[in-house]
Amino acid sequence: MLGESVGEHIRRLRLERAASQLKRSDKPIIKIALEAGYEAHEAFSRAFKAMESVSPSEFRSCSRSTLRTSTPSGVHYRGGKQLKDFNPVRSGDESMDVKIETIEPMRVAFVRHTGPYGESSAAWGKLTAQLGKQGMLGADTKFIGICYDDPEVTPPDKLRYDACVTVNDDFEAEGEIGVQTVTGGQYAVTTHFGPYEKLGETYAKLLGEWLPVNGRELRSAPCLEFYLNDPESVEPEDLITDIYAPLEPR
Amino acid sequence: MATQEKIDLFRTHKDEYAAPKSPILINVGDGIYLTIEGCGAPGGVEFAAKVGALYGVAYTIKMTRRFAGEQDYVIGKLEAQWWGEKEGVAFDQLPMEKSSWRLLIRTPGFVGKDELKQAVSVLLEKGKQPEVAQVRLEKMAEGKCIQMLHVGPYERESDTVAQMKEFADREGLTPLGKHHEIYLSDPRRVPPERLKTILRMPVVGRD
Repeated sequence: MLGESVGEHIRRLRLERAASQLKRSDKPIIKIALEAGYEAHEAFSRAFKAMESVSPSEFRSCSRSTLRTSTPSGVHYRGGKQLKDFNPVRSGDESMDVKIETIEPMRVAFVRHTGPYGESSAAWGKLTAQLGKQGMLGADTKFIGICYDDPEVTPPDKLRYDACVTVNDDFEAEGEIGVQTVTGGQYAVTTHFGPYEKLGETYAKLLGEWLPVNGRELRSAPCLEFYLNDPESVEPEDLITDIYAPLEPR
Repeated sequence: MATQEKIDLFRTHKDEYAAPKSPILINVGDGIYLTIEGCGAPGGVEFAAKVGALYGVAYTIKMTRRFAGEQDYVIGKLEAQWWGEKEGVAFDQLPMEKSSWRLLIRTPGFVGKDELKQAVSVLLEKGKQPEVAQVRLEKMAEGKCIQMLHVGPYERESDTVAQMKEFADREGLTPLGKHHEIYLSDPRRVPPERLKTILRMPVVGRD
């Protein structure tokens, strides 16, 4: 059904998470290798290179310079150079408005969507039609997206996303609509104004600039998106989305 | 599954939702609205609860229809009529805590009272706000109105209203009826100076 065996699927997810960590954190490669389930740096490097065509360290230096080409100096890394010698970029416009929030776990009804993140409307349609008809959509209902995978690392057809709506304890899973508890904990939160197509830019600033500048790391949990208004009733430029990036405690 | 295009009353009646930078005279014809009445300041508990109740009902009705594969439509923008204890008291002279209001969401004519009743009972059963029982489906046609876009905080509407009154005088029209606002911006995140609200002033006179 997935087009890959369960073992291949798990291996790919682990390598993709490692790729994200290489890109977005300063975690030593050997630690990333261990977390990905490889006992030795070499085994990890080989598996990684087979998937991404470059070694883990090459991937890290290349992807860092991609994230920071917004600097006029266009600083690039090539092997050897230490990250701490580099002054983190401020991309020229105002620094981001980011708050650290701790949220409680939330019980949600959800529909899974696999594929490009921008194509989740069918999942949302199923979820809201069913829940709306049951009177579950009230003023206090939250509409949340759970984004499991990094679109810069995972192929588009394999991206996983859950369209979620908060529910109380009475609601039970039925048919395609499941129930899960969204992980609570500490998150870095910033508001994205405007079309969903531009969410990637806000993510890049939050994860690629704000996190390293403020010495924080991503916890290995998915990012959350809270949709504060309804894309069906509002113009794309008026959309408001809160992005929650899970943080590793200091 | 319905394949008709989704109905968007805001676009269908775009002449009634015109948002010009200076006052114009328009005619507002028959419309069906989900409504709920109350009083007190917009920041207050009653206002918040009733906005929630109105949207809860609006979404429940829409989703019930969508689930049944019926004609889909866009939930209308939130609108409100405001008045004081005495009609005719200038809207901007109203102390907020004493003002009365009616919140409105324009709804397609094919939505019937039985759908409203059903939505309300489903919501009450789920323990949602009891205020949902106060939501009504009403027909309204304001007729001749002066309309203008107000940009900025709600507290500064009096400047815009003054321009609309001047226009009324020039055209030989008299304001009569409830001050009406159509909220184009979400006040939760849009900074006050950038809020966009359509102000509508029903008038009579001339012919």
